[in-house]
Amino acid sequence: MTEKMSLKELERNMYRNSIQDGILDIQIGCMLLMFVLPLYLNDSLGDFWSSMVFLPLWFLVLFGLRVYRKKIIQPRIGNIQYGAFRKKRLKRMNIIILVINAIALILGILSFLQFKNVSGWVISARFSIILLIGFSLAGYMLDFPRLYLYGILISAAPITGEYLYQNFGFSHHGFPATFGFLSGVLIITGLIILVRLLQKHPPQDKEVLA
Amino acid sequence: MSEDKKIENPLADIDQIIHAPARLRILMMLYVVESLDYVFLKNQTGLSWGNLSTHLGKLEDAGYITVIKGYQGKKPQSQIQLTNSGRNAFKSYKNTLQQILDDLPE
Repeated sequence: MTEKMSLKELERNMYRNSIQDGILDIQIGCMLLMFVLPLYLNDSLGDFWSSMVFLPLWFLVLFGLRVYRKKIIQPRIGNIQYGAFRKKRLKRMNIIILVINAIALILGILSFLQFKNVSGWVISARFSIILLIGFSLAGYMLDFPRLYLYGILISAAPITGEYLYQNFGFSHHGFPATFGFLSGVLIITGLIILVRLLQKHPPQDKEVLA
Repeated sequence: MSEDKKIENPLADIDQIIHAPARLRILMMLYVVESLDYVFLKNQTGLSWGNLSTHLGKLEDAGYITVIKGYQGKKPQSQIQLTNSGRNAFKSYKNTLQQILDDLPE
């Protein structure tokens, strides 16, 4: 049993070492900016186009980070092909995230349609619950404990934003303040992890043993 | 004869290729994944290139691992994989060691 446990632990450590490069933190931080930047174009472009304008930028950032991971990070930390257990788990996570996104989309459309009848608190609470469930499940399936903390912080953002909006008159339901702040925290955290990793693993000139 | 040998040295049945700590660690790592490359293995084991090369050579000679040569772009990127024989040898090593330890008096 102990051996079984230690092999399991070894696999988990290897998996975590292969993904703890700060890129996911930066990606989530950039995703949060999508809740902030379009708000400032709402008046001139409307709800739909203000979000659409930033989508190509968001995909460009995702693509850039993916290329950076492949070209710069992976040659330094090495390459691992996960076993069947991990592959199955990651596949299951993708399905769950798809389902959550679909639910979020439906709730988002419903909120948009009933926007004038539903209080800001209800919309914020719905949004918070979806974020909390999404991040908790992702944290569990990805074996990435930091995502639980991010889930709690990010799910508190809509409610905190609504509080700031109603009590202190913050603009756009407080989203720019709360999501903007969290975005900064996550991007800085990711960059610190990334820089430390790059310092710890200097570039390998060539595959010495090949 | 075999029983006598076993009484004299209970570790006689242990696979000496696997029993070296560095090689045991390498095999444990390969046991739980599909494949790894040299850089990942070096980072995880903390071995020098020379040591890693020697241990991998011994495991390859024993038929426990196989090196799949490949490229990522223009750079060579070979993956190391546990063979079926290596997987069975590791399981057998684990069971033998477990048996020996279980037979020890309290």
